[in-house]
Amino acid sequence: MWTRKAAFTFTGGIALILIGMMISNNQMMILGLALIAFIVVNSWISGHGDVEVQRTLSADNLYKGDDLYVELLITNRSNRKTQLLEVYDNIPHEMKLRSGLNQMRLNLSPGESARIRYVLRCPLRGHYSIGPVSLRSRNTFNLGVEEMFVDHHSDIVIFPQIKEVEEAFLRSRTPKMYTGATTLRTPGQGSEFYSLREYVPGDPFKNINWKAYARTGELMVNEKCRDAVTDLYLLIDSRDIARIGTVLKNPLEMSTVSAASLAAFFLKRRDSVALGIYGEKLSYLPPDTGDKQYFKILSALAGVSAKGEMPLQAVTNSLSGRFSRGSPVFVISSCEGDGTVPAAVRDLVGRGHEVTVLSPSSIDFERLVSRIPRMSYEVLKLERQNRLTTLAGSGAQVIDWMPDMDLSQALMQVRGY
Amino acid sequence: MAEDVQVQSDVTITGSAKARTLHLKTLRKQWQIITLQIIATAALIGMYLEVVSTYVVGTIDHTILFSSIESLIGSDLPLGKWFTGQGRTGLARFFVPLAIGLVVGGMMALVAYQTPKTQQRLKLGFIITLITLLVGRLILGWLTGMIFSFDIRLPDDGELQTLEWPLLMIMSLLIMFVYLLPIIMGSRGIWGLSKKSIAWAIGFTLLFLGIHAILTFPLIKSQLGDYGGALATLESQISQPTIGLFGIKLVTSEQFDLILIAVLILVFQESAFGVIKYLEYAFRLPESCKRDPEYVNQMDNMLNTHLMHTFGFLGLTGVATMVALGFHSVLLSLVSDTTGSQWAGQVSESIELSLTYGLVISAVMFLSFMALLRYLIPWQRIWGFTYSLRNNNPSENEKPEKEFIEF
Repeated sequence: MWTRKAAFTFTGGIALILIGMMISNNQMMILGLALIAFIVVNSWISGHGDVEVQRTLSADNLYKGDDLYVELLITNRSNRKTQLLEVYDNIPHEMKLRSGLNQMRLNLSPGESARIRYVLRCPLRGHYSIGPVSLRSRNTFNLGVEEMFVDHHSDIVIFPQIKEVEEAFLRSRTPKMYTGATTLRTPGQGSEFYSLREYVPGDPFKNINWKAYARTGELMVNEKCRDAVTDLYLLIDSRDIARIGTVLKNPLEMSTVSAASLAAFFLKRRDSVALGIYGEKLSYLPPDTGDKQYFKILSALAGVSAKGEMPLQAVTNSLSGRFSRGSPVFVISSCEGDGTVPAAVRDLVGRGHEVTVLSPSSIDFERLVSRIPRMSYEVLKLERQNRLTTLAGSGAQVIDWMPDMDLSQALMQVRGY
Repeated sequence: MAEDVQVQSDVTITGSAKARTLHLKTLRKQWQIITLQIIATAALIGMYLEVVSTYVVGTIDHTILFSSIESLIGSDLPLGKWFTGQGRTGLARFFVPLAIGLVVGGMMALVAYQTPKTQQRLKLGFIITLITLLVGRLILGWLTGMIFSFDIRLPDDGELQTLEWPLLMIMSLLIMFVYLLPIIMGSRGIWGLSKKSIAWAIGFTLLFLGIHAILTFPLIKSQLGDYGGALATLESQISQPTIGLFGIKLVTSEQFDLILIAVLILVFQESAFGVIKYLEYAFRLPESCKRDPEYVNQMDNMLNTHLMHTFGFLGLTGVATMVALGFHSVLLSLVSDTTGSQWAGQVSESIELSLTYGLVISAVMFLSFMALLRYLIPWQRIWGFTYSLRNNNPSENEKPEKEFIEF
């Protein structure tokens, strides 16, 4: 495609030829012809984007706020020069360049490679894709330009940040619930022996009981008891109302951070953690333990977005049957715009669950983005206090979580129970 | 794979090689940049001298204007003859002013690199000097005269006459400035990296050519009387071609001069703007990229290609224009040789064809044919094949070891 310069040169050339013909002036005609010849000769050579692109990331999963190192290797696989080639690696707008540059102008000889290295800061959780790679080739005198792209993507998941949670803050009224690993008489991941069974393809070799094999002549594997303290249920409110505040500071972001931190804490103690996210629809991750579950939880939290208006009562109605008896339930919700919260909490408490409501203060988040008159703020705050008091009266532990408060600090509010 | 990724690395020196970065301070001394600037300056001088020798010398040059003014005022102008080139003949009249123009342009470029504060001081100093030069003697003489005569009065004739020399001096300098405008602005643009100045140099040259073309249009020229007669006109088309390629005469020497002007304008424009384009790109790169050997390497590649294309493609442009202008005679000889008919002879003798329309139509036909060659001939493969032939020796193909190590 012609550039603006080429179009002007061509138009100027034609105009000079015509004016030169009109006034029988050789200089104008020759200048015009030279301009046209300039374009014609330059059209014989053009750049190309026949390059191979390979992107390497420092990690496929990161935590919010971490840096991602990206390296883009561009190799000219054709047998001619690329001419002036601008390479631009498309990055999600949520990510910020911290060092280096995601673009380069180059002119690669056949077989030659160039590396673009840059560092991205990932300030927001989510599922992202880096790419495609945009290419723009020009000839030396910028008379022709061609835009193309290499459909090369690299997916990356930015997990919510994990905050340190101190054990002392999470003591329960029934101490044995949180006192460490106890074995359950069911097969699963754990340390104590449960039984012997026949080997099936896919079983890890390290679990093979060689003595039993020598004795019986058949491959046998050891099965372990599942270690767990308890099943912990996390319910996260991702309704539309949870987006109040700024992009980086809003109830939903705080909810994901707290859920990830709590999950990390309990899974580290070899507890089972389940996750329920409700908003537009309910997505539920059954309780499990181990690194795989940790990854699943973080992935689910990375993809959470504020949508919908599902009430908590609907969630508890559909899930309470699946909850293990007496297991603790964490409800992480601002409790705004949902009149069913007290009833749902009462219902859970009634079923013997130890309910903790971690409630990010949405009014204070709203204050971050809009001015609320002092009187209105006081009234709204009072209403919120009444709501939380009602929940506490239902038998739940309630934590009023302010925007500037650290998670550990917020959890201190339930200390002493 | 992930662990292979490293942070953007800095560069260090190995051996005696100096660290190469894309900082402007370093880049401005790079041989490709300096070569491009020298090419641009040479093209500017060539273009100026070619325009001047074709249109100005002996007809409307500054020495003739100065002589007319001197005869009008009855005395010599303050500028020295060595300075203006009066008394010399032909193009030699322009050699000293040209050198002075280049020096002035260079000084202006040098000023452009100073801090805004220094620039302001220099400008202020220049204005004060100009005012002092203009009215200094008058004010000094007039005020002292009033003090000594204890009288308040207007300046007398003697005192007012002190204005004559500075006024004539400034007028002479202004005339020289107008004549040397392309050189001053061009050299300032090339070495001071100013796009605006380069545009001024090209624009002024084109403006001059345009005005000249209009004034030499027969209808207007006849209206100008003696003044019109002084303007140089080119009778390039009806004379026989004397310059050509491979034994084929294509253009007249006058046409060749005009082609040279056009090609030199293009060389000047592309080299001067090219330097600024590459330096701008380097300037905008973040610090880490300026130190990255990959960026340094690719900058080298781009500059080398620009240099090669400046010679190759702009040379080809000149050749293509020459062939285009001589294409009508090739066509006619082809018709005459193949048919041998009377019609071909008549056509070849037709003044109409030798003049504007036939020439332009045949030239445009040739250029259109050349443009079509883009689709008929696989140029890209040819370039690739040429490149592979040139680099078929693996030891040559191997790049020399980099002067940098990364850590």
